[in-house]
Amino acid sequence: MKNRLKVLRAERDWSQAHLAQELGVSRQTVNALETGRYDPSLPLAFKIARLFEMPIESIFIDEEG
Amino acid sequence: MSFKSFKPLGVRGALLVFAVSLGLGLIGGVLGVILSEQPGVAGFAMTAVMLSLVMAAALSICVWWWRHLDEAAREAHKWAWFWGGTSGMAVGAVLLMALSLRRDEVVLPQWAGETPPELLLNGMMAILLFQLAGYGLAWAWWWLGRR
Repeated sequence: MKNRLKVLRAERDWSQAHLAQELGVSRQTVNALETGRYDPSLPLAFKIARLFEMPIESIFIDEEG
Repeated sequence: MSFKSFKPLGVRGALLVFAVSLGLGLIGGVLGVILSEQPGVAGFAMTAVMLSLVMAAALSICVWWWRHLDEAAREAHKWAWFWGGTSGMAVGAVLLMALSLRRDEVVLPQWAGETPPELLLNGMMAILLFQLAGYGLAWAWWWLGRR
């Protein structure tokens, strides 16, 4: 699943390490999320949405939809 | 719905887990050798109790470590244990079964054991090693694919 995490993070001038700390995950996990090679669980997706103050569907793109 | 925040263990945490596990293994090994000198049912019971305690401690470390992993790290371990462990077990089982079915052609090295208990134990350990090798490879594969 594609997502806009990398763009949103860059807009805020955050490092992957900072985002990882905010989300309570490892930097490797943030990297895997940003490359779209790992899809987060619903709780983590909601947490990401809350952090960026955006709806989930604005961050994660459902390619089959 | 909950997603527990945590502080990732990092290299130091992983090394600590490794060191404590190694220490536990060492304690278990030394105590096992000492208790092996004890004869009879009492000696057997003491060995079983000691090993149970060591394993319980090891599992406690495992639980603590697991709680400090994030969801992607857990997913990597679950995937690796299923696919890597199963594949490793399959490879090991083929080898062990081939060896056990073709005893006339194959001469086992001395370290493989001679008595039935030795052969049983070494066979189990060999399968475990194959599983761990497969698990390690699969774990690395999972993360390499998500870099």
